This record gives sequence, C-alpha cells and structure tokens, in this order.
Amino acid sequence: MCFCDNLAMVAKRQSFGKDTGLQARMLLTLFLLGLLYAVFVGVLFAAGAGASVIVVIAVVLLLMQLFGSDKLAMAAMGVKEVSPEQEPELHGIIDRLCVQADLPKPRVCVIETSVPNACAMGRSQKSASVTATRGILDMLSPAELEGVMAHELSHVINRDVMVMTLASFFASLASMIAQFALFFGGGYGNDEEERDIMIVILVSVVVYVVSFVLLRTLSRYREFAADRGSAVLTGRPSALASALIKISGAIERAPSQDLRRVEGSSAFFIIPPRAKKSLMNLFADHPPLEQRLAALQRLESQLQGVA
Amino acid sequence: MGLRDILTGRHQVKDPAPDRLFAISTAYVGLQSEHQIDPAGSAAIVFQSLATSDFESTLKDMEEVVTATGGDSGTTVSTQEDSYGYRWMILRNPDGTPSVEDLAVGINAVSGSIETAGYGERLLCAVFAFVDAQQRRVYFIYNYKRGYWYPFVPAPGDAQERSTERELQLKAQIGSEMPIEPELERWFPLWGIPI
Repeated sequence: MCFCDNLAMVAKRQSFGKDTGLQARMLLTLFLLGLLYAVFVGVLFAAGAGASVIVVIAVVLLLMQLFGSDKLAMAAMGVKEVSPEQEPELHGIIDRLCVQADLPKPRVCVIETSVPNACAMGRSQKSASVTATRGILDMLSPAELEGVMAHELSHVINRDVMVMTLASFFASLASMIAQFALFFGGGYGNDEEERDIMIVILVSVVVYVVSFVLLRTLSRYREFAADRGSAVLTGRPSALASALIKISGAIERAPSQDLRRVEGSSAFFIIPPRAKKSLMNLFADHPPLEQRLAALQRLESQLQGVA
Repeated sequence: MGLRDILTGRHQVKDPAPDRLFAISTAYVGLQSEHQIDPAGSAAIVFQSLATSDFESTLKDMEEVVTATGGDSGTTVSTQEDSYGYRWMILRNPDGTPSVEDLAVGINAVSGSIETAGYGERLLCAVFAFVDAQQRRVYFIYNYKRGYWYPFVPAPGDAQERSTERELQLKAQIGSEMPIEPELERWFPLWGIPI
C-alpha cells in the first residue's frame, strides 16, 4: 500500500524532444505574412476610398468562407456522415483518440471513392469533422489508420482550418483587387488617379504572388506539426510513416479521373490528391514524403531513446 | 491551449487529471445497497503500449508490483491487447469475494507505476464491471485525462448499441456520490470490454 504515496515528486519524462526549429520557422513565416499584409493595407488606404469597399466585401467573403466553405466542399466531394453502427472500427479509433487528446468528438464522415485519403474540416473544435475515403479504410491496418486519424485530429486541435483561412485572407483580397481592377480598371479619371490604380494593381499582384509562396510554406509546416501531433498522440510514429508510404504509393498509381474529382481542397488532405512530382517544392502545400518520413523517423528514434 | 500554441501548431498529450479513481470505492456501496447493482469482481485499466524496451520493462515491473499488492487479497492479473492496439491489464478478485476496494487499489498501483515511469500521458481509462438485478453488465469508466467517471451500459445482443436511458438513470442515482463527466458527448463507448 505504501506504493501509492511515493509518486508525487517524479519529474515528467519526455518521450519526444522539442521541435523548436519547426516552431521558429512557422513563426517567421507568420511574421513575414503579417508584414506583407501590413504594407498591403497601408497601400490600400493610401490609394483612397475605393479600397475600403473592397475590404468590406472581402470581410463578408471571409465570413462566408469560415462558416460555409466546409459544407460546400463536403457536398462537392460526396462526403457523408457515418454512424457508429455503420463504421464501428473507425468510430472506435476516433473515440479512443478523442479521450487521449481530451477533444470533443468531431463528426465522422466517409467518401465512397477508392482513392486512399483523409481530411479534416471545420473552423473550430466543436464544428470539426474528419473524413476518410473508402480506399483508405480498406487499405490500412488499424494502427496505420489510427496514425492517419490522429494526424487529422491534430489539424483539428491545432485549428489549422481557421489559421489557414485567416492567414490567406489578404491573399484572397489581393487576388480579388487584381482581378477586379483588370476588369474595370482604366478608361476614367485623370492621369493621377489612373497612376494610383496602376500602383494598387501592381502591389496587389506582388502581394498575391509573395503571399502564395508564404502560405504554401506555412501549410507545409502545419503538416509537419500534424505529423508530430499524431506521433505524440498515438506513441507510434512508425505506424503513420507506414501509412504515408502505402497511401502515397497508391495515389501515384491511382487513375486521374478519380484524382480530379477530389481536386480543389487539398490543403487538409493527408496526401494531396495530385501528381506531385511536377510541382516545385516551393509551391507544394504538403512537404515531400521523404522529409515527412525522415521527421517521423527522428521521432521514433527519440521515443526509443537512441537520439 | 494558448495563442502561441495555435500559431505554431504545437500540442502536448495531457497528463492525467487529479486522481478521483477512489470515488468508486465509496460510491459502490450505494449502488449495491440501494440500486441492487453488485460488483462483478473485475476491473481493467486501458492504456497505449509503446513499442520501446523501456516501456516493456516498466510493464513487467508493474505486473510484479500488482501481483505483490494483490497477494493478500488473492487478486489476479492478466494482460491482453485489443484490436485497436491498446493494452488491457485486467484484475480479478478471487471467485465469490468481489471487492471494489482491492480492485481500486490494484488499478491505482498500475496507473501509479505507469506515471512514475513518466508515461502518465498514455493512460486512457479504467473500467469497473458491475452486474444489475437483471444480470446485465453495467460498466463504470474512469477517464484519466479528465478525472471523471461515466456509466456505460451496452444493450443486450451483439449490436454495438448502448442503453443511454439506463446510463442516464445511473447518473441520477449516484451522480451525487462520484464525479460524473458533465459533458454527455464525452461518454465515449468502449465496445468489446473483456471483463
């Protein structure tokens, strides 16, 4: 009985090391985005009244995106919610992970497609949903599926949908202004106004291009963070690594019609449904598989106590 | 979770909440005398098992500790893995003499040695089995992350259905005697409980 008494003063053991580098890079990316946006807003205000109308429109669009886009995307991809009776194994995995993560249970959905993939949606933990395709349910072992679901739940815990939507707010605004101005710009006013409009268009284009690169960079960091979150949550980094190898192999072999059906909201898929090899790393929203596997391998080494 | 954690996408697995496991060893008295729900003589603790040599040796030490603690009462220990890869350590009282206190002490010894070894974040839950007047299984599940209890009553048959009505009745009956999970959506089911 004396056993119960001597546990109080034990220092917490760390199964996993810190990820200071990743956090620093993520904060730097966010800082650069913020700086860019600050300059952009400054130029808009300097340009005068027309800009404020655009800002109002953009805020409305942002709200629509936050509150409606997941439903739209889900409808477009043929996502349907499944009950525990329909998918007992998937629900069982998520139930346990939610206990482990101390997270309210998200809605659990399935897409009936043979392409193996999974994604998380929803602006908050309360409104979140996680989705798996039929292909991934059939392909992965329970431990691998658990790793993938823990990755998706990590997106929910980290509020990645919210962070990415907010982070891309001004990028959408810049792209809107560039398109809007190209449509209606020119042909009225005096030379000075015309010159101002040209400056706003140019700045918008530059902001759009730079923020695009920064956003993709941020998205890749969020993926690394979710991989890490999955490893921390399940204690099995190598199960997720094994799942990623299986999924990416299958996606490269999968027919392109199916790939196109799920095109369009790839940021929150575990592996983006595209041929990745043609894209430069700078513009990819997911890190290359080799880097993700290497990061998971480092976590496994830390867990085994050899690193 | 602070703003910085959200911005950097960082989160840690929670350690166990302040321990309220022993609430069961007083609450069961009321269950038995007032509601004819008897202890089934078994309990289990569920945790993630890490595939590392350090964790395996922790488990081995732990089994020895529990066997030693249970020596006087005759509590036996067995382990098994479920289909989700979680480890169940099952404690059983000797036949005919169910003792919730002994089980709670044993479960506490297991969770204690897991926490001492620094793996407290791997603890999922503890389950205590009871039998009601109609000979149906009634489980009380202790969520280590939150430090709350909740009842779980699987409906008869193989289908994965639960008798929510019965669970809510149980909450009303003994809610004042033990810390019951206030959020109903966190009464996570646990199918295929081996006790």
